[in-house]
Amino acid sequence: MYDPSSHDIQRPVIHTSWSCEPWKVDFAESTFSFEDEDGTQANVQINPDLSQYKLDSLWQAPRVLPIQLSQTLPKTIGFTFPESPQWTPPASAKESVPPSTSKPPSKDLLTVTSSDEGSDEDQVAKPRITRIRPPGDLVRLEDRLYYVLQPPLETLVQSAKLTFPFQPFPYQMEGIAFLFPRSAAILADEMGLGKTMQAITSIRMLLLSGELQNVLLVCPKPLVTNWMREFRQWAPEIPLAIIEGDSAKRNWIWTNPQAPVKIANYELMMRDHEILHEQGLHFDLVVLDEAQRIKNRNSSTSEIIRSIPRTRSWALTGTPIENSVEDLVSIFEFLSPGYLRDDMHLKSLGKATRDYILRRTKDKVLTDMPPKLFRPAELELTSDQRASYKSAEEDGIIQLSEMAESVTIHHVFELVLRLKQICNFDPVTGASAKLERLEADLEEVAASGQKAIIFSQWVETLEVLNERLAKYHPLQYHGRIPSNKRDGVIDQFKNNPKNKVILMSYGAGAVGLNLQFCHYVFLFDRWWNPAVEDQAINRAHRLGVKQPVTVTRMMSLETIEQRIHDVLEQKRDLFNTLFAETGTPQNLGLNQKEIFGLFGLNVPKYQVKAA
Amino acid sequence: MPHRLGMECLDSPPQFQIGMQESTRKVTKNIGFLTVRHHELHGFFGGYLIVNELARPLEFHCTLPILPTRAQQILYGNTLNEFVCGEQIARALVTKAKTIPDALLADSLAVLTLRHMHSVPIGFIDTLQAGDSGMNRPASGRTEYRRFKALGHPMAVLPEYESDCGFFSSLFAQGKPPLDLLEPFGRIEEALQEAHPATKAA
Repeated sequence: MYDPSSHDIQRPVIHTSWSCEPWKVDFAESTFSFEDEDGTQANVQINPDLSQYKLDSLWQAPRVLPIQLSQTLPKTIGFTFPESPQWTPPASAKESVPPSTSKPPSKDLLTVTSSDEGSDEDQVAKPRITRIRPPGDLVRLEDRLYYVLQPPLETLVQSAKLTFPFQPFPYQMEGIAFLFPRSAAILADEMGLGKTMQAITSIRMLLLSGELQNVLLVCPKPLVTNWMREFRQWAPEIPLAIIEGDSAKRNWIWTNPQAPVKIANYELMMRDHEILHEQGLHFDLVVLDEAQRIKNRNSSTSEIIRSIPRTRSWALTGTPIENSVEDLVSIFEFLSPGYLRDDMHLKSLGKATRDYILRRTKDKVLTDMPPKLFRPAELELTSDQRASYKSAEEDGIIQLSEMAESVTIHHVFELVLRLKQICNFDPVTGASAKLERLEADLEEVAASGQKAIIFSQWVETLEVLNERLAKYHPLQYHGRIPSNKRDGVIDQFKNNPKNKVILMSYGAGAVGLNLQFCHYVFLFDRWWNPAVEDQAINRAHRLGVKQPVTVTRMMSLETIEQRIHDVLEQKRDLFNTLFAETGTPQNLGLNQKEIFGLFGLNVPKYQVKAA
Repeated sequence: MPHRLGMECLDSPPQFQIGMQESTRKVTKNIGFLTVRHHELHGFFGGYLIVNELARPLEFHCTLPILPTRAQQILYGNTLNEFVCGEQIARALVTKAKTIPDALLADSLAVLTLRHMHSVPIGFIDTLQAGDSGMNRPASGRTEYRRFKALGHPMAVLPEYESDCGFFSSLFAQGKPPLDLLEPFGRIEEALQEAHPATKAA
């Protein structure tokens, strides 16, 4: 700054814009501009050529002109978190949680420790943290900051003294952080990665935080007991209400406020949906397990599920797309009606759903998990089978051709099923190339003390296998086994060393079961849908599995099975394409044209509906 | 599909004299975390998060971006950052907060000048590096600080308030708080980016 006292002989005159007398105003040369937030301005002009100044009067001491800087503080935006102090588990929870005794399944498990843990004060361990991030559909700043400013999940778990039967994997914590803030979400992890645990823990934490009061979980009927078991394991303090019994009992359970979590099955929802509306029930969260059950949006199941009054909607499924992108659109009709359209381009669909879907696969997140070893068993039919097959196929095609325009997809399906059954067993002699191979493999399995799961789409096939594999003391788990006996079957298979084999139908055994003690899976015949096959395989290949799981896919060469296999591979490509968001698939599924095409037939002109 | 969250926005926060409410402090340990970041284009941003001993957020405040005036640049010279960060931004933030924490932690040395006008001890804690945003941690023109370690973290206070060293040591030694002393700064930085999206790194 200019300092007048530094000039001894001819003192300069300082002209300012706010003091004119007796000083002259001259804005000729250099000017310092001062401006504060409150608008005060001051200009100080200094001319280095002192000779042009002249004294207007006798010498006077220079006046001191203070420059006032504003003391106004910056403007701020502020938020408080009134509910924070409530975030503590109920007293009973701390008492009822069993001690963590089981060992972690992996050395890479997340460690929930504070940074000051450890003896060396100078060593500050950097704990892993998993942040809750606001979903994209949250717009208001205060809503977004609510989640941004929450502590990491590990801190929440630690501060609430929550215990787990074993430490969750990091990807599972990410899954919980994904679900926690979302009103609409699909957890689409590959089977066996622990969707159930992630959903339960998210529900648990939301209940503890007071963000949820009542939750409805809808799952397939055979999985109700599985969910109960998982809740007991992962959230033992949460009271459950299972919707069951006669009408009066169910009515009472629905309206029972004591249990914050209610579990119902899809079939029962068909009967009880009126109760919900009559009683004016509203759920803070509805979770659909195996959400592909509502993939047909015109089905009554889908309509009823979508009508449940709720605030949040989550869908759990390992197969959000089983056949076509319409499956995914249908699930979104539950999550956010109208958000997706069937005619959306695949890339647009991927972009629109990115923030709503979390999908991880085992090969990405469980790098140390034992692998699945696929062993295709491509078999030639026995001579008896080949003769029967050839005859049936030729006769069938002739019949279909003769039906001309009156042929329907059901006629084609009938032929497909008949041929597939011949691929399993010859209808006259009972000869089976698959069984020969299976017996040979099972000898090796049994000799090594291992157990095996055998899947078929037909109960009749499983019953034949039950007789022919009697020396392995097989157990059966399919639709003809009463549901109240199924848990006992699983327990027996798990605990009785004599029972080396369990025979399962895809329908009953494909979902929700934990058979990771079993390291061999045989697909005696192929299902229509690769996703269902994957689910079946993942009964064995799931968290906790200690050894590689060997999957033997049996397929009869040069038969309808091989042709179906080719279509299934195309479906798999579709699924991978959508979730990889790259390119477009060659084929969107097993459509009518392709089913007819299995026999070189054309679709009759009047039939336009997709299969 | 956003849902209503129970967060209160403080449009008109109460004004009160800083440091005059010692007697009203709670027994529980609430800690305030102060961050000031400098963005090349937008200027200085401040964020202030108060958490309870379980690391749950109690209050959050942030400033609108401020650019020092030419007068301030000339008058404060190489102490400009101390003035802007400590006497302007940090002071504004702690003034607006309802809760008075037991201690303040800052991740920038320049913020420590707040201590001259605030009775709550404030310490610098070295977070080693700022986040991955396009904002920098303002440097301090001052070189003399009283440095020490607490819970293994390198810390510093103004030498005029050397007794604060003992305060922090005893504070952290008492309860061995489950609090991660560095993690909340990450939350503030993310919150600043949410509040000022233009500052996000490309």
